[in-house]
Amino acid sequence: MTPVHFSFTSAFALGLMGLAFHRAHLLSALLCLEGLMLSLFIALALWALQLEATGFSAAPMLLLAFSACEASAGLALMVATARTHGTDRLQNLNLLQC
Amino acid sequence: MVYTFSLFLMGLVVGLVAVASNPAPYFAALGLVVAAGVGCGVLVGHGGSFLSLVLFLIYLGGMLVVFAYSAALAAEPFPESWGDRSVVGYVLVYLLVVGVAAWYFYGGWYEGSWGAVESKEFFVVRGDTSGVALMYSFGGGMLIVSGWVLLLTLFVVLELTRGLSRGALRAV
Repeated sequence: MTPVHFSFTSAFALGLMGLAFHRAHLLSALLCLEGLMLSLFIALALWALQLEATGFSAAPMLLLAFSACEASAGLALMVATARTHGTDRLQNLNLLQC
Repeated sequence: MVYTFSLFLMGLVVGLVAVASNPAPYFAALGLVVAAGVGCGVLVGHGGSFLSLVLFLIYLGGMLVVFAYSAALAAEPFPESWGDRSVVGYVLVYLLVVGVAAWYFYGGWYEGSWGAVESKEFFVVRGDTSGVALMYSFGGGMLIVSGWVLLLTLFVVLELTRGLSRGALRAV
């Protein structure tokens, strides 16, 4: 694995671990999702650049468009959570807890 | 050039370690800004200046600005930075994991595998710019689909943030 591939692969794995082991805030999990999207954008862009497949340069742009949709949906959910529960801390999302 | 490039690659990994260790969202957003900045540097080093500018404008200037002011919803009186006891364990473990993985792969990293040297001629029309222009010609269907999805997301956000009183938007 070349150093460039190792760096964005480990960036993706770190974002995934940060999302899996999120601690207190919903916003921290959303930021880890954004880190995942960043590593995917860099991966797709480097694919297009290193293999000189310039037609593939549209793929990171489309990824960015859909990632913007996902980020806005996640932030709207966080705003709705902050309205109904008063905060975005995950220990407050316990209505279904017995 | 190789040193700058390897610094950018390490900056990407360290920036995402800073995000993944889950400090207070203020600091995680800062780590993401740094990671996106050096990620732009990585793309420029490979000759993708247009994609790097797109990342800067749309990702940093659009999405992360929204995350930065939404961090006000996650305000707490004593935000936990990377030095605080509950976060520093995560930081050290993630750095250790990345270090072990890098040590495992280190044997195959020789001199020439670090960066892409731009040793070609200089063209005015760059590869990534003209590749993105394909999105408007042959990729027109995908453009319409993503435009439709963005419009749909606008209505999703409006529905989610409408709140109890089914009327105009209100402040948080």
